[in-house]
Amino acid sequence: MNKITFDSIEVRQEIPLFKKSVDQETFWGYAVGSFDYNPVHCDPEWVKTAQPFSIPVTVAHGMMTMSFMMSAVTNWAYPAMLKITKATTKFVRPVQPGWTVNCTGVISEKHVICPGKNYVVLDLKAENQDGELVAIGQAEVVFPD
Amino acid sequence: MSYENFERFFTTEKQKQFDTDFFQDAEAYEAWDEIDFDSDEEIPGEQTFLIKAEDMKAYAMGALDDNPLMVDEEYAKQSPYGELVPHPIFLTQVAFWCIGVKGKGNWIRTPGSRNPGQKMEFYEPFRVGETIHIKMKPNDRYIKRDKYYLNYKIDFYNQDNVKKATWVVALILPKTKADLKKFVEGIHALEA
Repeated sequence: MNKITFDSIEVRQEIPLFKKSVDQETFWGYAVGSFDYNPVHCDPEWVKTAQPFSIPVTVAHGMMTMSFMMSAVTNWAYPAMLKITKATTKFVRPVQPGWTVNCTGVISEKHVICPGKNYVVLDLKAENQDGELVAIGQAEVVFPD
Repeated sequence: MSYENFERFFTTEKQKQFDTDFFQDAEAYEAWDEIDFDSDEEIPGEQTFLIKAEDMKAYAMGALDDNPLMVDEEYAKQSPYGELVPHPIFLTQVAFWCIGVKGKGNWIRTPGSRNPGQKMEFYEPFRVGETIHIKMKPNDRYIKRDKYYLNYKIDFYNQDNVKKATWVVALILPKTKADLKKFVEGIHALEA
């Protein structure tokens, strides 16, 4: 496992990109994995007229986008056994079939409390293949050392 | 929307049991204007969730995360974690299962609802073998830019009543049952 120490962390440090391309198959697969079978994600026929997002196509689950953003965090945190304690997101634009979602994160705050309680805040962002913002979020990660 | 679209993805027992038709019981879903904020009582979910390895793995795979700590039991066992580690947003699968179809909180199944954003806190990791139950209550309801927002606070506990996580789950909903019915019929209905 990688060792990331609290002392080694600096504000403005970036975590590696997490990138996924999605389509209707992805949405169905996520519905099964999450139990969220909302037709806005799963039913291309229904959405042509219902259009909750005012577009006649299905959109990705917001929770899938949030999952991608958190996968960027877990890829960085889990090998070092850091503990994720909070996750928040705000969805800006619905993800459509055929898009690629690029999730990035940067350490924006370093909270120096005491060993075992020190934590960082990461500002997270998800953008599509054209650089359009899809979602923003934050995660808090506690260091064991 | 064909059940066969989903069946070919099934890898767990719960997936075979879970009701995939979000239209069928839509008339029973709580509407935005029906939520009772007078009571301070915490409401239990319809059912509990016994965590199996297949459940955690299925969530990670559905979210396109092939982290071996989440999907490879042998790898995870050999790691310093000693066991499978859930994806943080595994909460979603647990919540939908525990809330069920006809009980309180079933508005999360509303056809046409929109996800504005979410807040989660994690206290202790979920573990294979635990049985999770939820307690939830209405947290806030508001109108913003002509959209109707609702959120509930859901606390997740294991069989020993150790609190594992909290999720303030939020959606933009149709305002009334009549608006919800329009969505079920395939008519755009998010304007009040």
